[in-house]
Amino acid sequence: MQRPSDELLVAYLDGEVEETVALEVESWLERDPELRNRLQVLTESATQIRDAFEEILREPVPDRLMAAARGRPPSAEPATGAAILSFSAKLAGITARKGMANRRWGLGLAAAASLSFLVIGAGGGYLAGTGDVSIDGVQRTSTATSWLDNIAGYHNLLISSANGAETAVFDVPAGSESEKKLPTDIRVPDLKPWGLAFQGARKLVVEGKPAFQFFYMTDNKSLGPITITVTNTTRQDISPTFDKREGVNLLYWRHQGHGYALVGSADKGWMWGIANDIEFQLKAI
Amino acid sequence: MTEAFSDQLVASLPRLRRFARGLAGNASQADDLVQAACERALTRQHQFQEGTRFDSWMFRIVQTIWIDQIRSHAVRKEDGEIEDERYGSDEPVRRAEARLALEEVRRAAARLPAEQREALMLVTVDGFSYKEAAEIAHVPVGTIMSRLARARVALVAQLEAGGGLRRSGDDAAAQR
Repeated sequence: MQRPSDELLVAYLDGEVEETVALEVESWLERDPELRNRLQVLTESATQIRDAFEEILREPVPDRLMAAARGRPPSAEPATGAAILSFSAKLAGITARKGMANRRWGLGLAAAASLSFLVIGAGGGYLAGTGDVSIDGVQRTSTATSWLDNIAGYHNLLISSANGAETAVFDVPAGSESEKKLPTDIRVPDLKPWGLAFQGARKLVVEGKPAFQFFYMTDNKSLGPITITVTNTTRQDISPTFDKREGVNLLYWRHQGHGYALVGSADKGWMWGIANDIEFQLKAI
Repeated sequence: MTEAFSDQLVASLPRLRRFARGLAGNASQADDLVQAACERALTRQHQFQEGTRFDSWMFRIVQTIWIDQIRSHAVRKEDGEIEDERYGSDEPVRRAEARLALEEVRRAAARLPAEQREALMLVTVDGFSYKEAAEIAHVPVGTIMSRLARARVALVAQLEAGGGLRRSGDDAAAQR
């Protein structure tokens, strides 16, 4: 075999050569330092190009594209109800990797020991001081529900992540030290009695304003992982309301300037129970 | 339109946007491309075969529209057209620097010929196999292989010339 070309090296790196060819390439690599260096350069450039485009996955998806995907004219998307959520670090690669979420469920309880607790205070503070966000859309009719669709969609994307339980996904990973990075009026709700372990919080952008999505996992497959998204709002309070979007269940409500959305695959009974617990802990009702 | 079909489409949007950004080089044109692809997919959803990969089907639609636009000269590529990201004014300096480096990589990719960018995005960025990429791009596997190699080599050359190629050894050297 002749000295491997760049083309062959790239194919080797991509795992696209037969085993016999791969062995020959490796044989060359063992005795050719220059070739090893070339391989390293090609490897690192590939990593860089992936990193460079990864963050695009975390950008907000424009309303017009959500509308197009739903077969709706852009004008059908509510001006104030569109959910613009941006992903946090490392979430990018997950969308291409499906079906691995269940394998991560077992990590939930293991992480629970390091939990601290979150409560979103009723008073002012970080969220309350940043202006209205589109939780207001929740009482609208089906044409004004993209907020809920997006919350559910992004919940699904996170759950489908093979890396969903890794702290790198989160702006604020679980753990007492990192949770100090949360706004002072926020604490972590204790859902351990439900077998739900807090994994971390992601800072989202909802119509240009900050919001937080809290992620919990469990090994209880009848319950499954859940997310809680907290926004702020100037609209009047509403009672918890059940809905089903994107194949997942939602319970949402507003209370004293905050909007809450609990999202998960658990049945309605579980959802109401967890929501009641959250409301009680967060003094959010 | 079935809800399941629409759900798949929504879930694909981030990856489609990334692929389109790699092809078009800027956010506005990329989103136009994705929007057109969504509209076409909805009108042709009967052509999608259950049991086949939805993402491949959608990437193919994006690619086809992109090629059509190139052929009709509807797209004018301009250097330096990559838009700045929306960074907050309080962005920490180190993160800003890291993002500038990423931007430089995207610029380098944007300078590649269109067919090389396409191969790079499909295989290196989005993880399609050569065979899958070949099907999406409507070319033989060997063509993907050679385009990809040229793209990767050219990218290395550009990054090295610009001092932007990150070396794992750099970190080690810095720590010594």
